[in-house]
Amino acid sequence: MLDSLSQFGAAFGTFMSPGAIVTVLWATFLGIVIGALPGLTATMGVALMTTLTFTMPHTEAILVLVCIYVGAIYGGSRSAILLNIPGTPASACSTLDGFPLARQGLAGRAMGISTSGSWLGTLFGTLCVATLTPVLAELALTFQSFEFFWIAVFGIVIAGTLSGGDALKGYLAGFLGLWIATIGQEPHYNFQRFAFGYPDLAGGIGLLPALVGAFGVAEVLQAMRAPAAKAVANTVDSVIPRIGDVLQYWRTILRSGAIGTFIGILPGLGEDTAAWSSYAAARRASKEKEKYGKGSIEGLMSAETGESACVPGAIIPVLTLAVPGSAPAAALMAAMLIHDINPGPMLMIQTPEFFYQIVAMLVIADMSKLLFGLTLVRPLLWILLVPRERLMPIVFVLCTVGAFAITSRVFDIYVMLFFGLIGFVLRELKFPMAPMILGLVLGELLESNLTRALVLSDGSIAPFFTRPISGVLAAITIFSVVWSIPAAQNAIRGGMRGLLRRRATAG
Amino acid sequence: MPQTPSPPPSLMPHEEPLPPRYDLWTAAVFFCVGTAILWLCWQMPTYREQGEIYTAPGLVPALHGVIIIVLSLWLGFRAIGRGALHAPREAAAPREGYSNTRLFLAATLCLAFAVGLVGRLPFWLAAAIFVFAFATLFEWQPGLAPRERARRMAIAAVTGLATGGIVVLVFERVFLVRLP
Repeated sequence: MLDSLSQFGAAFGTFMSPGAIVTVLWATFLGIVIGALPGLTATMGVALMTTLTFTMPHTEAILVLVCIYVGAIYGGSRSAILLNIPGTPASACSTLDGFPLARQGLAGRAMGISTSGSWLGTLFGTLCVATLTPVLAELALTFQSFEFFWIAVFGIVIAGTLSGGDALKGYLAGFLGLWIATIGQEPHYNFQRFAFGYPDLAGGIGLLPALVGAFGVAEVLQAMRAPAAKAVANTVDSVIPRIGDVLQYWRTILRSGAIGTFIGILPGLGEDTAAWSSYAAARRASKEKEKYGKGSIEGLMSAETGESACVPGAIIPVLTLAVPGSAPAAALMAAMLIHDINPGPMLMIQTPEFFYQIVAMLVIADMSKLLFGLTLVRPLLWILLVPRERLMPIVFVLCTVGAFAITSRVFDIYVMLFFGLIGFVLRELKFPMAPMILGLVLGELLESNLTRALVLSDGSIAPFFTRPISGVLAAITIFSVVWSIPAAQNAIRGGMRGLLRRRATAG
Repeated sequence: MPQTPSPPPSLMPHEEPLPPRYDLWTAAVFFCVGTAILWLCWQMPTYREQGEIYTAPGLVPALHGVIIIVLSLWLGFRAIGRGALHAPREAAAPREGYSNTRLFLAATLCLAFAVGLVGRLPFWLAAAIFVFAFATLFEWQPGLAPRERARRMAIAAVTGLATGGIVVLVFERVFLVRLP
């Protein structure tokens, strides 16, 4: 216990130099700006900044990316409240009550609620990172190939089921991502799969160009297709959060924090699902349901707390299993790998100081976010008014640089364009993007562990179902797929009801 | 108390459902993709002579291909069950304020920059031309006074040059990142 505290102290000490504080401030501010601007998402921000931080020492680089991530998820609520357009997909839920509040002349109060909810949400999630990560990492150390195979399949299935769309389309997107991950040289015989003789394709599809395409280029195209946004207010009332709002809704804050963190831990779901789930739970439990959708303070608080608690939550599986909890966390994980940090069960053994540093980074980024949330209201309002006709080409230029810079391959620019097009079309067809990106991330984990497990069991699939943890993961995965079939869902519900009725009659 | 209508369970509250015919076409495309994957995997060597069949290069992608085929059939039959074959052949209602012309113009400009300009011109110049062209074309209004048009074009030119200059300065000089 004392050792852990001293490690936390040392980690905080790492970031107390003037240079580190300046880095935190500019990175968080940049993150808030990225989040606030419609068309720029947290995933794109983290992916692009991975390029910029390529030459930095790893601690400083990850600090920048964590600040961007935390800032961007919070920044999205600014445009949600003032423009009725979510700056990031995570903030879509905040438009429901944030924009009506702004129209009532309470834009400042709405931003204050957003700031306090977001700050407390991230703090709650960070506390969970500090307490749950060591426990989960310990558990993950007992996993073998069979379990890791199911973790990968479970990630795809759960992301497809819950990522806020059609579950079937989520599965398709996930398996498409898993297949794309197999393009290039395979690990056992260096055979070039699906390369058709092109050396660039034989090198495989890079995660960062794909992320920049799916979340950057696709956003540029969508933003240019959509109607232009107009701010609802040029001036705002006080943005200082009211203590009364926080105290009155403390149950909502705790509930949303827990839901947000839990959704974050589940692979690939992300902040938008966390916000909608927290909002739905708050509405169900609320005494003032009729205010929801018309400017409910509780509704806005729940959405903001949920999405911000999801940020640290999404980092937990990265640190313990090398499985990202959200799309921005996938970009963050890619950055860790680029900087020779190996996320996964061995992280707590090989580089335990990095875990404590991540916790410190999250706390410092959260404090910095609070500072900017309370002070920089007017500059953020001006930034929101930049016309997209001038902003989007700049975003595309940055996307091109971001895709190219990691490996200096022009091919990666074409990968970005391809994924931009695929991302745009699939989104128009209501396919969620998160499972596809998760598939791309988990492809290698799935393949290496499936082949290893089959070699170990000499081709028998029994251990995939008979080993205790493997069996549980298999059961949850299969149940999730079955549950997504409406007929099966109705049959299970009917069966449960019948069983309960029979027990009640018997009793 | 009036309640807001709840969306179908498979969609987020802010999303609108697509006509089932779109899903049928999507299923057909995915079926073709899955079949192509399976066929390509079948062509791959198994390296059985080296003693291990479970490490064959085509095994895992073939598994993905089979699952994609099964899921696409599920999507296709579901779309048929929802009336994809009998639904009127109308396009989905266009959303208010959304413009396909703007979409195609943006896509064309982005493609021209990424494929036509990058690598052929110094990056700062390519970026400046792209940003200038993009802003000018999208801000073009037929009835605009020449003075206002010149002002907008000047702003676009300054934005373009600033973008090119700042990107080169920040990425190449400060953070030592290579540019295309």
